[in-house]
Amino acid sequence: MTVSTLPDLPALAEFERVFLPNIEEDKTETLEEYLKVGGYEAVKIALAKKPEEITEIIKDSGLRGRGGAGFPTGMKWSFLPKGAHPRYLTINADESEPGTCKDRPLMEQRPHTLIEGIICSCIAIESEKAFIYIRGEYYKSAKVMQDAVDEAYAAGILGDNVMGSGKRVDVVVHRGAGAYICGEETALLTSLEGYRGYPKLKPPFPAIKGLYDKPTIINNVETIVSVGWILKKGADWFKKFTHERSTGQRLLCVSGHVKKPGVYELPMTLTLREIIYDVCGGMRNDHDLKFIIPGGSSVPWVLPEHLDATWSMEGLAAVGSSLGSAGMMVMDHTVCPVWALANLSAFYRHESCGQCTPCREGSAWLQKIVMRIERGEGEEGDLETLRAIAGTGPNTGMICGKSICALGDAAAWPVSSALNCFWDDFEEHIKTKGCKYKNKRYWMQDDRFVNETYEHKPSWGHH
Amino acid sequence: MRESNAVGYLDDKHEEIEALCAKYPSRRSALLPVLWMVQNKLGWVPQDAMKEVGDIIGVTAAEVYEVVSFYTMFQQKPTGKYHLGVCHTLACAICGAFEAIDYIKEKAGINHGRISDDGRFSIEELECIGACAEAPAMLVGETLHGNLTPASIDKILASCK
Ligand SMILES: Cc1cc2nc3c(=O)[nH]c(=O)nc-3n(C[C@H](O)[C@H](O)[C@H](O)COP(=O)(O)O)c2cc1C
Ligand code: SF4
Ligand code: FES
Repeated sequence: MTVSTLPDLPALAEFERVFLPNIEEDKTETLEEYLKVGGYEAVKIALAKKPEEITEIIKDSGLRGRGGAGFPTGMKWSFLPKGAHPRYLTINADESEPGTCKDRPLMEQRPHTLIEGIICSCIAIESEKAFIYIRGEYYKSAKVMQDAVDEAYAAGILGDNVMGSGKRVDVVVHRGAGAYICGEETALLTSLEGYRGYPKLKPPFPAIKGLYDKPTIINNVETIVSVGWILKKGADWFKKFTHERSTGQRLLCVSGHVKKPGVYELPMTLTLREIIYDVCGGMRNDHDLKFIIPGGSSVPWVLPEHLDATWSMEGLAAVGSSLGSAGMMVMDHTVCPVWALANLSAFYRHESCGQCTPCREGSAWLQKIVMRIERGEGEEGDLETLRAIAGTGPNTGMICGKSICALGDAAAWPVSSALNCFWDDFEEHIKTKGCKYKNKRYWMQDDRFVNETYEHKPSWGHH
Repeated sequence: MRESNAVGYLDDKHEEIEALCAKYPSRRSALLPVLWMVQNKLGWVPQDAMKEVGDIIGVTAAEVYEVVSFYTMFQQKPTGKYHLGVCHTLACAICGAFEAIDYIKEKAGINHGRISDDGRFSIEELECIGACAEAPAMLVGETLHGNLTPASIDKILASCK
């Protein structure tokens, strides 16, 4: 996969793509090629500055984390306790939030931009060691990253004398082995220490007590890649396209029923309508849009009436959702919202690590109830029970705010949001003991999987 | 299908493992990478290998099992020569993942359970594998295949000799 090209929109006339321009599909940029286009210039810039100066530039750029929570990166860095060493940088390449597939092309095609960002970040936070935690399913990403790290060591870019500066930066590529929860920062650290990936209660935050109990900064792949570009091109360049406090470019992953699904590098200034109808070519087969999950599977759903919302952190918050990890799933009118929710509930139930009761039991009950409604076996009172478990917002219901990590909340949010958006559909399933979406095609393109008499098979989630 | 018979799976890997351990401030961090070595060699992680890995890392077999059983990618039973991991999460599901799974099972000769009658293929339904924009998608061993269609599946399976 490669980052898809953008149409000629007036709104994008001045916009400069930097993450993956002009790289052929399935091709990895070598060190030699990268050096020819200004590769590792950012390291030279970073080496000429004091650590605090780099952090100030990142703060000034407005860069916020690309992993999901959107926390300001420069501010996170400044939480490190002064004088405490060693300290570690950990790159979150666990990318497992359904709908999200952006870190993979970054690592597989331009691995050196990540290493460059890592070195700059290590200089800024005064760390000599970085770990890249890559999800187990990303075999190719891990191999490409390891090869690139080896290349960088051989060229004296990594190691005990980074580009002749006398500074040391070591990078270790570490693979996970299949567990969504290891994307949660504290779980990632316990996993990296060789244990089950159990999250830990915060505080203490990793910046104070993290990997091997040492101060640790955890950032997403795209966040760290952005750091390199900001140093190279300046904070003002990064802020050129801005919507409220959403600055800089982001990789948007669009999947589902649009004509051109793909990964797009965009500023956070377009509307959802422009993204779906201009950037992605519109809905497949010109179907009607039913709903959008705009930021990975955990975030609240967005209805067509909100198509004029800006695709930015503030724009999506204004319509009750979130930009999350920028994994946008688009559903057309053939998708039954109860069926879609059943799929997501099965995901969260499967991925709950089981440490805390509200999340472990709550996610299981949500799945059971949604699935029985979907099968036409829903009972009166089921929707009220779902509401009681999932709640209606932060710290309501039986899970939100009552578990160790945010996976509990993530299991509840889609349920409360689906009920808000499609209460009538849920009620109808229970009343008619069936689904009116049955016998509708899920996919309508000739060479795709098409089944006119599609039976909703809840074939997932049986354990 | 590959079988385990004797311990000593990692006899030829001790140097590599020590170099690996040296990369981390704590030896235990090498546990997942060493388990990957076992799985790469055998296709799965048998119980006697957990004992061997524990001895190398310096933890009990029970502690290794605790870790193996947490991570879904560590196989605790033998797999087929080609392990097919098909994504069934939402982005793939709305693009025909369940139809793809039925089609793959039929073509690969997986009639019951998860291994084909000839032992060539095993199948597993996976949660999102990070290829949502190319849905439906599957992993064949270590290789990712996206935009699956009946025709592309025929081709992929035929190339698995
Ligand atoms: C259940 C759960 C899963 C997460 N998965 C990921 C992930 O796959 N990748 C990621 O970068 N962040 C993930 N996060 C967010 C991280 O905990 C953390 O906030 C992030 O890596 C910080 O990096 P950033 O500030 O650069 O975004 C997840 C959080 C939760 C609660
Ligand atoms: S909220 Fe869920 S995933 Fe997070 S620690 Fe508790 S049980 Fe585990
Ligand atoms: S949902 Fe199938 S790859 Fe993401």
